Amino acid sequence: MSSMNDKLNEIMLMAGQFTFSEITKRQFSVNIKSSGLLSVLGLFRQKGFTHLSLITGIDRLNDEKFEVVYTLFCWESGETILVSTLVDRKTPVLPTIMEMWPVARFYERDVHEFFGIVFDGNPDLKPLILENWSEIPPMRKDFDPHKYSKEHFPDRKYNADFLPEGGGEDE
Amino acid sequence: MSKEVKLFIGPNHPGMHGNASVHLYVEGDTVVRSRLVPGFLHRGFEKLMERRTWMQNLALIPRICVPEPDINEMVYAMAIEALTKVEVPERAHWIRMLILELARIASHLMALGGIGGSTGLYTMPNWTLADRDLILDIFEKITGARIYHMYIVPGGVRKDLPEGIKADILKLVDYIEGRSEEFENLLLKNRIIRTRTKGLGVLTREDALKLGISGVALRATGLPNDLRKIAPYARYDHVQFEVPTATEGDAFARFTLKYYEMGQSLRILRQIVEKIPDGPVNIRISEGSALRWKVPAGSVYAHVESSRGEYGYFVVSDGSERPYRINVRGASFPQGLYGIEKLLPGTRIEDVALWLATMDFCPPEIDR
Repeated sequence: MSSMNDKLNEIMLMAGQFTFSEITKRQFSVNIKSSGLLSVLGLFRQKGFTHLSLITGIDRLNDEKFEVVYTLFCWESGETILVSTLVDRKTPVLPTIMEMWPVARFYERDVHEFFGIVFDGNPDLKPLILENWSEIPPMRKDFDPHKYSKEHFPDRKYNADFLPEGGGEDE
Repeated sequence: MSKEVKLFIGPNHPGMHGNASVHLYVEGDTVVRSRLVPGFLHRGFEKLMERRTWMQNLALIPRICVPEPDINEMVYAMAIEALTKVEVPERAHWIRMLILELARIASHLMALGGIGGSTGLYTMPNWTLADRDLILDIFEKITGARIYHMYIVPGGVRKDLPEGIKADILKLVDYIEGRSEEFENLLLKNRIIRTRTKGLGVLTREDALKLGISGVALRATGLPNDLRKIAPYARYDHVQFEVPTATEGDAFARFTLKYYEMGQSLRILRQIVEKIPDGPVNIRISEGSALRWKVPAGSVYAHVESSRGEYGYFVVSDGSERPYRINVRGASFPQGLYGIEKLLPGTRIEDVALWLATMDFCPPEIDR
């Protein structure tokens, strides 16, 4: 995959030093600072990675960070690049990439809803999927779905008449 | 002076594919604004996956997508194999391809039935669902289950093909090919269907690329973008098939492409039956008990060409017995959310169901 390396080297020269690693023979990952996000994504877009597959939020609770990964795909070469950036967990703000990929509006809305990461410039960060949600964003690692379920959906009390003779399986 | 009226299509509506609600603002019969309200099918799969071991998730993931569950197992297995650097045995690749193509035909048959359902041509869903059942019979013989197979596992497939399955598959392929004339006469050459779908929901190539739409909706604009060709997985680079394209970009082009793709899948099935090698069908991906698999730390994105477009999982492992994070890329996310807002307006009310059917709108994979 020399073409991929050429492309990456060129982008590295243009955008300054960052590390990239090979995951599979058609997939690379790049770690960048959040300040350079728009320029690096723009460069990749120019180099043929025009398809935004996904925006993923990851809660790195132990490092007090959120990781946001932009998965870009190149229809010509079939290569995928994962552009990963870290934001502080207390003030998670990233610039929106709606200008480059309009569909990012909804991916960002999704990440905002499930992690609480704010995408500066996205006017549409309303709740998307959850309804009447008052807890912390549920995909964060410190959200305990078991506890939530116990609080909101208490165990049903069964009338003993419905149990088979001998008390049933639970006893 | 026309007045704008708000209409709700779904979550329970005969023209709706699964439980999602589309809010329409109509003037007369024409949609002026529209918006998808998803969430009715949100079951929290991504969070549930984090709380289960790698092996336990196998029973969970096919449930994300009902018409074509096997793609979930495939992307999950591909992601884990990329992280563990395990090379799957040759025969397993071919069996996986066999399952995926059977699933593609089953899903396309269901989708073509959906075209009939949204136009009042109920013969079509009756025929296609009956034919789909024959595919489910094959699935039952191979995997033991009809809908959710849990058959493609990390490291290969769960067990080898049963005796005599090749003859069954060839019989099925012959049968579906023999049905082609009837399908063409009923659907593709049908004057009413042609009049209603030609020129409906035209998607330009620029819009498709800008919105990140993949699958037949993109191929109907003239681009042969199929992940099976562009980024081949399993052994798609070892079989001959074509990627049908059209240039009109309308609803008619989209469902015709589905029909032609079925023909290509049948062609692939014949080649698989002919070329499938002997050998083992799975390999251990980790030491010890399967319930205590450990997957090396790392992130990877695995994607396949589903019947609706690019379907993928973003998988993060921290080296433990459970996934750290899995993100599902539903194939219809872009057209479901952005397409309904940008592309649906201008359509007439009676064509909304057709628009949704030909755009491969699938709420379970949007809500997850």
